[in-house]
Amino acid sequence: MIKLALKDLKLFFKDKRSVLVTFAIPIALITLFAFAFGGAGKSGGSSKIKMQLSDLDSTTASYETTKIFDSLKSILVLVTPLEQALENIKKGKQSCVLIIHKGFSDSLSSGKGLPLELQYDEAKEIEVGLLQQSLISTVASLPFSIGDPKTSMANRFNNMVKDAPPGLQKDIQNSSDGLFDLLSEGFAQDSSVPQKTQKNIASDFLGGDIKMTKLIAAGDDNKVGLVQAVAGTAVMMLLFSVVGIGMGLLDEKQEGTLKRLLYTPMNPISILFGKMIAANIISIFQLLIMFLFANLVFGLDIFSHLGGLLIMILATSFACSAFGVLLASFARSRQQVQGLSTLIILVMSAIGGSMMPIFFMPAFMQKLAIMSVNYWSIQGFFDIFWRSLSFTDSTFLFRVLVLMLIGLTLNTLAVVMFKKNILNLN
Amino acid sequence: MIGIKDLKKSYGRHEALKGISFSIKEGEFYGLLGPNGAGKTTAISIMSSILKPDSGEVLINGNNIYSNPGETKKIIGVVPQEIALYNELSANENLMFWGGMYSVPERELKDRKNELLDLFGLTDRKNDKVANYSGGMKRRINIAAALLHRPRVLFMDEPTVGIDPQSRNLIFEVTEKLHHDGMTIIYTTHYMEEAERLCNRIGIIDKGQIIAEGTLEELKKNSPAKETIVVTFNNLDDQVAQRLFSSRKNSKRSGNTIYFYTSDLKKDLPPVITQCQEAGAEINQIEFQKVNLETIFLSLTGKQLRD
Ligand SMILES: Nc1ncnc2c1ncn2[C@@H]1O[C@H](COP(=O)(O)OP(=O)(O)OP(=O)(O)O)[C@@H](O)[C@H]1O
Ligand SMILES: [Mg+2]
Repeated sequence: MIKLALKDLKLFFKDKRSVLVTFAIPIALITLFAFAFGGAGKSGGSSKIKMQLSDLDSTTASYETTKIFDSLKSILVLVTPLEQALENIKKGKQSCVLIIHKGFSDSLSSGKGLPLELQYDEAKEIEVGLLQQSLISTVASLPFSIGDPKTSMANRFNNMVKDAPPGLQKDIQNSSDGLFDLLSEGFAQDSSVPQKTQKNIASDFLGGDIKMTKLIAAGDDNKVGLVQAVAGTAVMMLLFSVVGIGMGLLDEKQEGTLKRLLYTPMNPISILFGKMIAANIISIFQLLIMFLFANLVFGLDIFSHLGGLLIMILATSFACSAFGVLLASFARSRQQVQGLSTLIILVMSAIGGSMMPIFFMPAFMQKLAIMSVNYWSIQGFFDIFWRSLSFTDSTFLFRVLVLMLIGLTLNTLAVVMFKKNILNLN
Repeated sequence: MIGIKDLKKSYGRHEALKGISFSIKEGEFYGLLGPNGAGKTTAISIMSSILKPDSGEVLINGNNIYSNPGETKKIIGVVPQEIALYNELSANENLMFWGGMYSVPERELKDRKNELLDLFGLTDRKNDKVANYSGGMKRRINIAAALLHRPRVLFMDEPTVGIDPQSRNLIFEVTEKLHHDGMTIIYTTHYMEEAERLCNRIGIIDKGQIIAEGTLEELKKNSPAKETIVVTFNNLDDQVAQRLFSSRKNSKRSGNTIYFYTSDLKKDLPPVITQCQEAGAEINQIEFQKVNLETIFLSLTGKQLRD
């Protein structure tokens, strides 16, 4: 079996084209994508953005506020206890949480700045940016939608000039009321300008105000774009090169060496196992080189995450090589594999986030993503480099497990198909 | 050493083997002679246990090959009809790999490999890629790859197809040496000269059946055709030839020459001459030949070994 694998490796490295596909092209693509994603792209999604909400105030006012957010078209509110919410973000399941801090109700009625805080994962900056846009105008109008607009506005003015002598405060109060009435009536009388409600008027005066806190801040070393570029490309190209190895099986069938192998006393199935071993070795080698390249050229910090990285590389290699071997044992001819594999790989890569970060995609696509090998390993690499999860973390281990299961299933299927398709000489 | 009983094998509707039986003694050189599609490769594939027969039995060295294929395969070497080598590897690498597949110990394998490279005259090209070899060189390595583990039984499936006379002679010499050293060899071919030169015993196979079997002498003795009357004409046109063939079924034409096969020369010679004259053909020369495998095959099947 080892001898078979070594022979396959030898054949692989003698074939200039597969070496090119395995190493040179991915390096070129990583470089390209790293620059493309480097500065993080533009906005994309049209679907609802998920926002966790933790209400620490628990008052009627905070409850009403939650309802208002929930009614917004662009936001899906998930009321979550704070601790849980933060955990979710760290594990990459959610991108942010809006915290309604204690004292929210008081601040609202007294016109003080509202104690709202949005904690988020910087990896999801684009998504959160979109969210912030929708939140700000809503927040600005909160005092007026929940409290009494007129009083709130006056309070707000008073707050701005807290240190004013009491007499002046009274004057401010009066002026504010006067201004409010004036504006309300003014807009109401003139039909040539768009009508404005009292709420709108107040919001125009007062900008919304949310404290933004990066929960997971990006270190300068590990840019999200870079991780995306390296992991995405590496996995996609890995798939291409393992298919190459798998196709060796069909070459052997065509060249007659497969038959000759059957004449030998070796168990026929070890021909397939030999291929699997070779595919795994090449995969591991390829991924190591890709990450080393990212380290040397783009300064991706691989050494402080070595444990997780190695585990993920092994799991990814296992799943991907199984895919390649399976394809080859399914097909009848090299041409068939070529066409089929290219199609499957491109589709999996597209939905799995090899070509484009997955959070750019609409929600249903994100759901489809879990069907691809790419998704699980790219997320795994994000776990390591981005979310800085340790390799004992359950989220990370779950992804490893999924990859192993994918690998196991595909390998088993490959064995069955190999016996049925390849060994059948009739 | 080898016993085969009533092997049958069909591919779909096509019956490739219709029940063949023969047995081969240790150290024998057995030839399976037959035209394209006769079932030679099918028989070899079954005997080397990579193809299951529909019915029948194969015993090698007393073992049913399907009860313990791993053990039986160790003493068998197979030279496939198609060249089956890794083109991108050198002869050296190929031999090391194939020897390794039979678990020949490293040191022993190296010696054996060098010995075979020498025997087949390829030592000075051993590090070249097989892809760059000539057809004859590939054929030689194709054979060498089956010999690394010193098999006791060797199946050779048309090992000389499409090569130069020099390589062919070398292969004959090596094969004869292997036989001389005690190897049991089964050799398929559709060249009767090869069977005549190499084999102790010959089975003639056609359309999935063994139609005659024995040593060359036995085959000749039992053949219905004993001699050939070779008539060369001054000028033979197609119409005349056609007329001659219709009166004499056992004959074949080659240019201006017609071969008439006969079991009784004295009785057949006068009418042949008369018929030639009646057909209007001008005889230039008449010769007589003893029977050979070609004539035997033709007299048995009414067709030639090679088209
Ligand atoms: N895999 C297969 N599927 C279908 N038919 C086959 C297959 N292999 C062989 N045959 C048919 O079985 C018959 C015997 O084939 P086989 O290869 O054994 O002949 P052969 O004597 O080796 O001929 P050749 O001299 O051309 O090698 C032929 O008619 C061939 O077409
Ligand atoms: Mg054949």
